[in-house]
Amino acid sequence: MSTVLVTLMPFWSERLGVPRTVGVEFPYGHLLGQPGDRDTQMGVIRAALKLLEEATGPGEVRELDYVWPQEIDEAKRDWQPPEPSPIIKMMIDQRRSQRQGEG
Amino acid sequence: MTVDSFRFLPGSIAAYYKNMTVQREDPVPFTPLGKPLDQCRFALVTTAGIYNKGKEPPFDTEREKREPMWGDPSFRRIPKDVSQEEIGACHLHTNNRDVLLDVNILLPVQRFLELESEGVIGSLAPTSYSFMGYQPDTTAWRQQYGPEAAVLMKDEAVDAVLLTPS
Repeated sequence: MSTVLVTLMPFWSERLGVPRTVGVEFPYGHLLGQPGDRDTQMGVIRAALKLLEEATGPGEVRELDYVWPQEIDEAKRDWQPPEPSPIIKMMIDQRRSQRQGEG
Repeated sequence: MTVDSFRFLPGSIAAYYKNMTVQREDPVPFTPLGKPLDQCRFALVTTAGIYNKGKEPPFDTEREKREPMWGDPSFRRIPKDVSQEEIGACHLHTNNRDVLLDVNILLPVQRFLELESEGVIGSLAPTSYSFMGYQPDTTAWRQQYGPEAAVLMKDEAVDAVLLTPS
């Protein structure tokens, strides 16, 4: 089977080795755009299909020009879960314990 | 345009990722597309942690809460005729609000059905697949669940896969 990856982090594709990659500068959880934005969703998919057709060897990365419409600080907050994930919560608790130990 | 992979991350997490050492696939796998797009059957694979409510159970996030260094390595099947109301989401590392409004931002089932209708692709396979994106240890993915999903895709004569990690 042939594969094509859409990612927010083409940084990893270059380091890990991925057959074909389309990179977009979107926040986490929004690989193909915003909810209801059919045009952007379809645009990213069509770029992925084009790469699937045209790539002649492994490792090609194509980065798309879409600009995320939200203001950066708002976008950084918006994708994050309502409460810290278990691993982040664990790290916060560990740091708190360390500080209490030092105090 | 050069995509900044860290633009939306908090600085501490970005720094951690930038300094992580990873093992590169060598050689990088590559399967040429064996036929024109309009004859290809596609499957979609995401790591959005979504599932088909009432048909399959959610991912085991209770265990992840007890064991933060563990992520559920299993997968869920999403049928091509799934409706938005049937989508559940339980990823603990991103806000699930938007995927619960529109699954197509992570698993573009409706968009692929449109491409099928337009004749751009041959078809969307009956089943697509959802994994849980948080995997501190990918051994079970590599050894069990990845190969299992690949067999199911082969059984449905899939030619090509769109991967959307989250």
